[in-house]
Formats: sequence, structure tokens, C-alpha cells
Amino acid sequence: MPPRNCALCDKARAIVKRPKTGQQICKDCFFHVFETEVHNTITEAQLFKPGDRVAIGASGGKDSTVLAYVMKALNDRYQYGLELFLLSIDEGITGYRDDSLETVKRNQQQYDMPLKILSYDELYGWTMDAIVSQVGKKNNCTFCGVFRRQALDRGAAMLNVDHIVTGHNADDIAETVLMNIMRGDIARLGRCTSICTQGEDTIKRSKPFKYAYEKEIVMYAYFKKLDYFSTECIYSPDAYRGHARVFLKDLEAARPSAIIDIIHSGEAFEIKEEVKATQKIQQTCKRCGYMSSNELCKACSLLEGLERGVPQAAITDRARKKLASEGGASENLRTIPYFQRPGALPPTAIVP
Amino acid sequence: MSCENPTTDTDALMPRRKKYDKSRTCVKCKENVGNIVVRHAVYCRACFVPLMTFRFRRSLEPFVNAKPDGPRRTALKPLGHLTIGFSGGLGSSVLLNLIHRCYVSPDPALLNQDGGKDHPSKDPVWRKVFVCYVETCDAIPGTKDRTEEIRNLVQGLNGVEFIPLRIQDAFDISWWRKISPKNLPFIPTDASVQSPSSALQAYLGSLPTSTALATTVGMLTRVLLQYTAFQTGSSHLVLGTSLTSLAVSLISSISQGGGFHVKEEAQEEWFPYPVAFAQGQVKSVRIIRPLRDVSTKECAVWAWWARLDVIGREQWEWPGTKPGLGRLTKDFIRGLEKDYPSTVSAIVRTCAKLAPKGETSGRCMLCERPAQAGVQEWKARIAIRSWKEPAHSNTPPSVASADALAPYLCYVCHTTLTSRGTRALPSLFASISTGHTPAVPTWTSSRVTQLHSAAAAQDSFLDVETDEPVVVSRRKMGQEELRQALNGFILED
Repeated sequence: MPPRNCALCDKARAIVKRPKTGQQICKDCFFHVFETEVHNTITEAQLFKPGDRVAIGASGGKDSTVLAYVMKALNDRYQYGLELFLLSIDEGITGYRDDSLETVKRNQQQYDMPLKILSYDELYGWTMDAIVSQVGKKNNCTFCGVFRRQALDRGAAMLNVDHIVTGHNADDIAETVLMNIMRGDIARLGRCTSICTQGEDTIKRSKPFKYAYEKEIVMYAYFKKLDYFSTECIYSPDAYRGHARVFLKDLEAARPSAIIDIIHSGEAFEIKEEVKATQKIQQTCKRCGYMSSNELCKACSLLEGLERGVPQAAITDRARKKLASEGGASENLRTIPYFQRPGALPPTAIVP
Repeated sequence: MSCENPTTDTDALMPRRKKYDKSRTCVKCKENVGNIVVRHAVYCRACFVPLMTFRFRRSLEPFVNAKPDGPRRTALKPLGHLTIGFSGGLGSSVLLNLIHRCYVSPDPALLNQDGGKDHPSKDPVWRKVFVCYVETCDAIPGTKDRTEEIRNLVQGLNGVEFIPLRIQDAFDISWWRKISPKNLPFIPTDASVQSPSSALQAYLGSLPTSTALATTVGMLTRVLLQYTAFQTGSSHLVLGTSLTSLAVSLISSISQGGGFHVKEEAQEEWFPYPVAFAQGQVKSVRIIRPLRDVSTKECAVWAWWARLDVIGREQWEWPGTKPGLGRLTKDFIRGLEKDYPSTVSAIVRTCAKLAPKGETSGRCMLCERPAQAGVQEWKARIAIRSWKEPAHSNTPPSVASADALAPYLCYVCHTTLTSRGTRALPSLFASISTGHTPAVPTWTSSRVTQLHSAAAAQDSFLDVETDEPVVVSRRKMGQEELRQALNGFILED
């Protein structure tokens, strides 16, 4: 078959078939459409304003590496006027996070952005290795997910930034839509397709790669020769997400537009008003000051369970009752430092 | 972005749970040994029958009267007849059995005997009950025509009338003329020169994916049933969608971008002529799925104990094609249901808490469901397909252009027609030439005619939500033309 010309510029030879559209296009056009679509996502949602201090959640993986590169490129090209930072969370997973943090440190040099690394150990007094040794592989993603979310907010507060951007891509969002429907998590379903989430007392958090296919992110990193770390987490995955992911990959293989179609579906419905009225009101955790829908936030509940030797206390009813029967928490229980909103703290020292 | 890797770790999949939680004794009577496990609860046969009947009636009766009146049973007074959409499959066989035993020829084994047999509550609810079957064998090569088998089955039941249709009726002008009391205009597309069967096959042959084929056959079947229900004066169209099938259709629809139609997947109020409906000139058809609380497993047990003759229905699969999204979803949900029966009801209950978001731009010309506004702009923004700026114009594109229908389609139908798979489909119908634009279903042609008329006339106003061609033309009519228009009303000198 003779080489085909690019479906967009009709000049250069096509070298990729875009997973998102099925079009055969050249390398330059691929870079251009990829970046322009991310720019469209940012401008359509009016994510930033000039002068914003923005932290890029950097794990060292493909998504956050490409995100850091693209954010820097777009910030320069379209003069967003953003002050960009890298913010990395060290979960304390030996052999997994150690290597990926090295990648983040290299990114810091390459992109010339200040970097802040915050560890679970520093914040909660527990590493994921220690948590897994107590809870086992089952349910450990619950701890990691809850702790990471709060750690990012706290890291951002230390950097005194207004906004965190994360590398969640279209596949992640489609997967989350399916997962939330299957497990009946109506509250998360209602907000999982929002490009930007912000509670009353939290830092803005957004996903500029919301419409970017995972395959295209990999393709972009490959053609740009970006340096990233590509090993999966060594601990057991969230079982339910695993189901949704396998199913989504099957759907994508049958019709690649399925990913974007699921996101469109997620944006085309909302929770009925009468159901919204029954949702819990957001409040502040009485122990650490972080946003919460109960008296204690999820991170404090999980931490208390770990500290008192009942790690499932915030996960299963039986363990919760067991913990309650043992009485309240002691005075000297290790807790998470009180959460301070950005602006309330002087900017912390960052890795030079 | 997520760190999980289900493919390398067997723990990625949820561990298998016990089929029943506590004991083998029936949870309801607490005496008999259970015969069936329904979502971890055990029931004996004697308790299962009233349970199943109760769930069926709870999903149907509150919606029989024009104004839904909640779960209490008041006198059931529907505004019209009843049409049962029958496929020959398990769900519709159980539905037909239940409708017949509860409302057509009341079975004392199922119904409360309070008040004696002459009590008004024993009167038939619907004056006429139609069973409509749409034969799809001409759309799926190698499948069997089951019309006669189904005719024999239905004719064995007293008090119901059989209406056989073929899926190519969707492209048949004579069917459209029969079904459309207002005799809406019809565009002379290729359908009028081809046989309906060729038009159907040309249409299916032009679709890009196996997902599109199955979705289209499902959509054509549903719309044919809706028009038939309307034409027979039915106020209700009931379908045999079980809880499991509903979960499959919800997830499948969401996977195809049908989030805006989540409500319609469960229940909808449909009317063919929106303006006439708004003016109270026509009644709507309420589409209900009375088995939406009953899983496929329960249907199978009911069919077995009631000794039902389930004819079965063909799989919507085409030779040489890979499974589409519908089939993949079905396999996935069936797999989940086997080990985690609660997931299926969780899907349905979750979707029941959702409402469409955003504005409606009218009704989709193909599937007759609401079309969300701004779909084309959204698609253009999310995925750049050309460096040229999209033309922004308030005037609709010419119906002759390839994109003519795009602004009048919902997201699902537009995606069905345009979204490609990784590989092209094999040629499905060898006898069909592919040289020209395939015809569209008759109800779509009718709307296209309105567009044609409106686009052709100067100073015209177009509204796709009207029932008649809305052409407000200001040209002067000739005497002879006026005379012809009034033909039959002017007496000869």
C-alpha cells in the first residue's frame, strides 16, 4: 500500500493513526492537534487566570510527565501567565515510588520547575509498605487513594498554590463513570466528569487531559522522547476498578470512540434534584480541619484504624463496631496536622 | 493515571462470594426449603410466584392511568389499548404470560380472589391487547424467519390480536402511509424505487461497525413498535426487558454516548407529532418495561415452572464481524450477575437517580428520542478533524449535503453513523450495490421532506418540531393552482 498523506495537512506522510478519530496524520499535525485540544479544554472551561500559581501533580508516570511538558509549552505559547510547580507525593512503596521519584527529579531539571515532594510518612507517620504489611493487599488502594488526595491538597497549601492539575486522562474518567454506575456511587458519579472540582475549603483541582486518550498520551511521549517511568504499582489494584478497566479496554477495541462517548454520557446526565437533597452536607473534619462529609474525614478515620490496630475500621461495618466498642481514641493518638488553606501559611521550602 | 494493573494480578478481580448468605430455608414463609436464590435470598416456589407477580404489577399498574398515581391500586382506566412488543425471547414470553394471566384471562392462581369473579376489579383493564412481532431475519443473514411460529403461539391465546411486522417495513412507503393517519409527506428517496428489503440492506451495509448494526436494528424495531402502538390506538406499549436486560441496555447506551437518554431507556412517553400532542389532538404512547425488577434468572425460573414455550430470538450478530458494544456489555453484565447479583440492580437503581442535563434541541430524526443541544460543537471541540474553521451559520445545511442530517440527530445516532472501528466491516449483503446514498427510514424521510420544502422556499421558516411541512411562503398563487388546492370543495358551475 503506498504511503498516505496526512489527513489534516495533506502534505507530509501520515505516520500515526489517531486512536481518537481514526485519522491517519503526520507527526507535526499530531503534536499540534493534541496540544490544541488540551488548550481548547483549558480555555473552554476557563481553568486559569493570569498570575495563578499552579501545581502539577507529578508521579513520574506518562500522564504527569506529558502534562508537565504540555502545560509548560502551552503556558509559553498562549501566554497563560501561570507560575508552574511540580508536586509529588511519596507513598513509600519501595521499588516503585523510589524509581518514579527519580524521574520527577529529572523532569524538574528538564522543565526548570520548582519541585515539592511530600511523603505519607512525613504527613501520616505511615508508608504504604507499612500499611500493606498491616492491611494486606486487599483494600490497600482505599488507603492510598484517600491519603494521596489529601496529601496533594496539603502539599499545594505548603506551596501556596491556587490550583492543582492532575494527569487524569479520558480513559481514567470513562472508567470512573462506569465504575461509579456499577457500584451505585451516585455522589461520585455526579462529579467525576467535572473538569474542575473545588470544595468550599479546598484548592481547585482540574484535569486538562480529560479528553486525551491514554494511547495518544503514550504516543506523544514516545514521539517527543519524554522521560517517564512506566511500571505499574506493585500492590494489588482496586478490584472494582479492575473490572471496569478490563471492560473499557474491550469496548475501546470494538469501537475506539467508546471512551469519549462514555465521557459525553457522563456530562449529559446529572443527579436528580430530589436525590441531591438527600446527599450529605460537606463539613470540616473536627480533628484535622480537612473537608469531610462526616465528623471525621476519611483520612483521619483510616489513620485512627491503623493506629489502633483495626485497619478495616473505616471500611467495614463490623470493624467499625469493634473499634467503637473499644471506646474513644486516646489523647496521645497520632493524628494528621491541622489543615491550613493556602495563604494562611508562608510558602514552604522547595527542592532547589 | 491510576496505578492499578488488573492484568498482572489475579487479585484484580473481585473474589467469588457465596451464592446465598444464611440458610436454605425460604426467607418469606420460613418453613419450606428454598427452590431459588434471588440476590442472596432464598425463596420456595410457593412464595416466589406471588413475589414475581407483585414485582411485575408494581412496575406496571402505577403507570396505567394517564396520570401516574403512585404504588396504590386505584381503578385502572387506561386511555387506549395495549400493545405488547414480542421478540420470542425469554423476557417477552414471560411478559406475555403475565399480561395474559393478570389482565386478559385472569388466573385465580395469580390474583387475589377478594370480591368474587364479578367484582369490577376483575374487568379487563385494556379493551384490546395486541401482540406485535418484528421479524429481523432480512437484516441478519443466515437467521430463521420465526413469524409463523410466533403467530401459532399467539393465536393459541384468547383475547389477543397478532400484528406481524418485518424490519424492512421501516423503509416501506406503503407501511408508512398505512401507519400515518395524517399522511405526512414522503420524500422520493432511493427507498421509493428500491424494494424495502434492498433499502434496509443498503442502509445496514453502509454502517461502519458491528455496534452500529445492532444498535440500528434495535432502534428500528423499537420505533416500528411505537408507531404500531400509536396506529392501533394503544396508550401503552410494554416490552419484556428484564432487570438484567435493562442493566445491559443502560450500560450499552452509556457506552455509545446515550447518557441523555437514560430516562428513556427505562420508561418514556412518546408521541409521533409533537405539535398535535401539545394541542391535545393526539394521545401519547407510554412505553413501559414491567419486568424491570425481575432478573433474567427469575424469568427463566418462571418460564420453567409455568411450562412456557419460549421460541427464542436470534442473536444480532453478523457473519465475519466482531462483537459490538452491546454484545460485549451483555457478556460483561451476565458475568457480573452470576457472581454479584446485586451489581445488576445497583446499575438500574443508580441510573434511576439520573436526569438529562442541558437543553434539548428537538427530537432525533432517526431514533425519535430527545436530541441534546450543542452536540456537533462539542464533538468539534473535543476532537479536531480538520484545520479548517467550522462554518458558523444559523441556516441549516442543505439537505443534499452529506452532513445534512447531522444537526437533527442525537449524539447516539450521529455516532452510530460516523464512528469507525479499527477495521472496516466485511460486505454484509453481496447483492446490494453501494454506489449511491442509502435511503433512510420512512419517518426520517418524512422529516427530511419538511426540510427540503423549507429550504426550497424563500422567506420560509423551518421548525423540525412541527407535524406538517412548515413553509410560510409569500409567493402569489395562480388561479388554477388555487383551484387545484381547493379541489373537491368547489362545486362545478
